[in-house]
Amino acid sequence: MIRNTAAQMADALAKGETTSVELTQAHLDRITAVDGQVKAFLHVDSQGALAQAKDVDARRAKGEKLSPIAGIPLALKDVLAQKGVPTTAGSKILQGWLPPYDSTVVSKLKDAGVVIMGKTNMDEFAMGSSTENSGYGPTFNPWDLTRTPGGSSGGSAAAVSAFEAPLAIGSDTGGSIRQPAALTGIVGVRPTYGAVSRFGLIAYSSSLDQAGPFGRTVLDTALLHEVMAGHDPKDATSIKAPVPAVVAAAKSGDVKGMKIGVIKQLQGEGYQKGVQTRFDESLQVLAGLGAEIVEVDCPSFEYALAAYYLIAPSECSSNLARFDAMRYGLRVGDDGARSAEEVMSMTREVGLADAVALGAEILAGQVRGRVVVRI
Amino acid sequence: MSSLSRDDVAKLAGLARIEMTEAELVELSSQFGLILDAVARVQEMDLSGVKATSHPQPLENIARPDVVLPSLSPEDALSGAPAQEESRFRVPQILGEAE
Repeated sequence: MIRNTAAQMADALAKGETTSVELTQAHLDRITAVDGQVKAFLHVDSQGALAQAKDVDARRAKGEKLSPIAGIPLALKDVLAQKGVPTTAGSKILQGWLPPYDSTVVSKLKDAGVVIMGKTNMDEFAMGSSTENSGYGPTFNPWDLTRTPGGSSGGSAAAVSAFEAPLAIGSDTGGSIRQPAALTGIVGVRPTYGAVSRFGLIAYSSSLDQAGPFGRTVLDTALLHEVMAGHDPKDATSIKAPVPAVVAAAKSGDVKGMKIGVIKQLQGEGYQKGVQTRFDESLQVLAGLGAEIVEVDCPSFEYALAAYYLIAPSECSSNLARFDAMRYGLRVGDDGARSAEEVMSMTREVGLADAVALGAEILAGQVRGRVVVRI
Repeated sequence: MSSLSRDDVAKLAGLARIEMTEAELVELSSQFGLILDAVARVQEMDLSGVKATSHPQPLENIARPDVVLPSLSPEDALSGAPAQEESRFRVPQILGEAE
């Protein structure tokens, strides 16, 4: 049952062949069986998940109209606030923090009857691409436990890959959904910036951060996307437009006449041979199905990485300033004699897993902001 | 090559409230030179006529009618506070030595 796609599970629920409680319990059992090795989860909320599942089953029994993925279990990256459930962003500085509110993504999942089973591991504050830099230890790739699952959303990707959850949510600032999806052999989508609300998403680089879906098929990610996307007045950069009908598009699979751009500047060097071969094959498949493949020239892409390494640490430097031991999270060294500045420094030293690496990132943001004057 | 002195890094670390050892300060000051050079590539671009932007959306300032909406109760807002007193966040001293 747990090896089915989310769409198949939803179909079985609609036909009454299974219940959300049964489905959720099967996945919780799977987590118990394999997560000691994979370590995808930081927190498993068995009770909360089963209560949600029971509620959805009751609503279905009453004949209520439910969302297409109501009753399907999901794993949530620990970067999204969920009311009353531990939320750490992979950092000890937030250990034990219970958010007093739901992020918009979580509200939408709850409204859709999606069962949130727990919070998944990640690189601390989403900074990293291997899920080794978590304050709570690394996550392992289910295909080969000696390898990383990628990151920063490695916990979510590993959970879906290991059949611990049919669906998961990650966040992507510079590849943190796309890269772990590729490394664990599943599907991950970074939605267009502004498509999914950032309200309640612990910020790394605010002008780049975007939450998005993981699944084992394109259709599954489309089903999740339609539930989590949409305009939100609580996010100033949220797109005020209807969510595109990606589920219908995924079901049709029709690419005939579609024009697909391949960016000239992203071709060539730096790819493993197998990766390049598979990429070229996928273009052939698309062309064979009637899509038109065109090369697109984007000269500014040559500067994309330099711009990213300017923007991300600069914004990170501002965003991490809020973890100052004053209003929530860890506080160290407050003995009545030390100043606020000393307490802040001591807390950050203890609370950040790799204080030097993160500190360097934060400082780099400040240095760059100061030196690159023309921007 | 750009460079940054050990004292520059120490000052920034203080501003960011990050404790660093002497060895880390020295190491970072040389690393930052390399990072700055890599990032400085963006200065090659001709950006005349490009407006400064904080995000990629074609959105203007968004205002809404001033309607009162539910917000966190004082208890909820203080629920994660490391220390609190009389419905407020209690913080260590911020103005030098206590009287």
